[in-house]
Amino acid sequence: MPERDHEFEHAAPRLRQPGFWHYVAVAPTWVAAFVLFVMMGMTFLDVILRSAFDNPLEYATELTRIFMAIIVFASLPMVSWKGQHIIVDLMDPLFSMRAARVRDILIDLICGAALLWPAKRVWDLAERSRDFGDVTEYMGFPQHLIEWFIAAFTAIAAVTFIARGLLRIFAPGRVPG
Amino acid sequence: MLASVIGLGAVLLLVFLRMPIAIAMGLVGFVGFMVERGFRGSISMVGRIIIDASQDYGLSVVPLFILMGLFVSRGGLARELYQVSYVFLGHLRGGLAMATICACAGFSAICGSSLATAATMSKVAMPQMRKFGYKDRLSTASIAAGGTLGILIPPSVILVIYGLLTETSIGKLFIAGVVPGLLGVVLYLVAVKWTITRDPESGPAGDRSDWPARWTAIRGVWAILLLFFLVIGGLYGLLDVWPVYLTFSPTEAAGMGATGAFLIALSRGSLTFRTIVHVLTETATTTAALFAVLIGAWIFSNFVNLAGLPEALQAFVQSLGVAPMAVMVMILLIYVILGCVFESLSMLLLTVPIFFPLVTSLGFDPVWFGIIVVVVTEISLITPPVGLNVFVLKGVVGDVSTATIFRGVTPFWVVDIVRLALLVLLPWLVLFLPNSM
Repeated sequence: MPERDHEFEHAAPRLRQPGFWHYVAVAPTWVAAFVLFVMMGMTFLDVILRSAFDNPLEYATELTRIFMAIIVFASLPMVSWKGQHIIVDLMDPLFSMRAARVRDILIDLICGAALLWPAKRVWDLAERSRDFGDVTEYMGFPQHLIEWFIAAFTAIAAVTFIARGLLRIFAPGRVPG
Repeated sequence: MLASVIGLGAVLLLVFLRMPIAIAMGLVGFVGFMVERGFRGSISMVGRIIIDASQDYGLSVVPLFILMGLFVSRGGLARELYQVSYVFLGHLRGGLAMATICACAGFSAICGSSLATAATMSKVAMPQMRKFGYKDRLSTASIAAGGTLGILIPPSVILVIYGLLTETSIGKLFIAGVVPGLLGVVLYLVAVKWTITRDPESGPAGDRSDWPARWTAIRGVWAILLLFFLVIGGLYGLLDVWPVYLTFSPTEAAGMGATGAFLIALSRGSLTFRTIVHVLTETATTTAALFAVLIGAWIFSNFVNLAGLPEALQAFVQSLGVAPMAVMVMILLIYVILGCVFESLSMLLLTVPIFFPLVTSLGFDPVWFGIIVVVVTEISLITPPVGLNVFVLKGVVGDVSTATIFRGVTPFWVVDIVRLALLVLLPWLVLFLPNSM
């Protein structure tokens, strides 16, 4: 018997249809989910083709690498938005409501700021790859496209953190997580 | 040395202020590196790590094993694992608690996370134990303790990360986890027996099942057993025989396992399109959170290495002139204390770059140390006052106090310490299987 899914239980009586921005926000996570499924199937197929027909997928390793970057970075903004990063909440009882609010605002803003520089640096490295015409070994896939992707989604994650921090100031009731 | 200690203090402070562990480690690592090598050097290091870590082929094993565990748990297979343990053990006094331990072990063989094992099994086993009048103390404790097996019995996400971090063979680490895992099961069964002997009312006997019922239950789990055999057998090289000739790298084993779990769950009709999407997105977001910590830890460990902490620690230990085993006991003590505060993986990522060079320089085996660290982490998951598994259980069950669970868990904690002592004193218990590969 399948277990009941908590998230869907709560989401069941939806009063408002999700709007355009909802789909924009969740689309990257769906892309990550789809890519993950493809990666699973590809690994399976690769093993079967290699053992049964001695004919492995030539591009499997390279595709896996690209897929991994997509899975991780496409999900990162949603993880940051929903507060799903791994944290230690052991000291929470020590903070009063007001202190906790100030703490959370500062932490979100600092996290956002801290991610902007790496995003910029990865973008610079991507530009360098593009100048050098770096491609992956077997498929010849342009390396800078992957790096652009990583930089863009790190930047989106940074903006997400900052938006969360600002939301905590102006509309604390609407902060997810 | 001083710089690293300040850095470590800063990470702890930020983490206690609720900053995500990933960003705390990354930020402190970046600033520390910058103090030593300037802004350009430090930001270059960070940019390179972000690009390389997220495209590491070896790390693709992480989402695939998480996916396998989620398909199994969403596919409702935990219930069948519990059923098969129940039909064989349920008629004994304390038999349902014993069945819970065995089902947890079986579930751990597919799932690589202790918290997930405890959360899943509590939904299945708790109602049954309540039905038969088990005292909450025993029933919750057996789930909390049994759940810890998740990170030791292969596949284990923690062992994968340890292997990648220390360049130790993941296949060997997995195989090395088998005997300590089974030893854990046996000792937990002893703990149940001990509880029952002291308080016979805490776990009354259930109904005895006849053989037709037992066969039906076994038929319910053969696919899971086959899946486990395929994944671990493929890694160990057991399947490299006529006519299949299959050997797997860890990533291939994980891919086969995830696909197998998906097909099994699908064949039972327990997966809807919505569930599949949910499992996939949950795996993707969990992977992103784990990779964030991994990247942060890599940045931090670069700083720690640059600041010379591992060398300073080695020199310090040598100057003390104490026996290697005494040093090991100290390290294990630090792990138990840290494990009470930190999430397991973060603790591992924070400490392994510091301790691993010291441990290997003292002549300890890297595979053995990996297993010992995981066993200690298991212990910290049920150590009062903050054992995480206990709180997971409290979250799912609700109406039992954490004090009750901790009281019930004490015998399990004691046998865990016995197991740790055995594995430390008799390293061949861990090493004989991987050394035969």
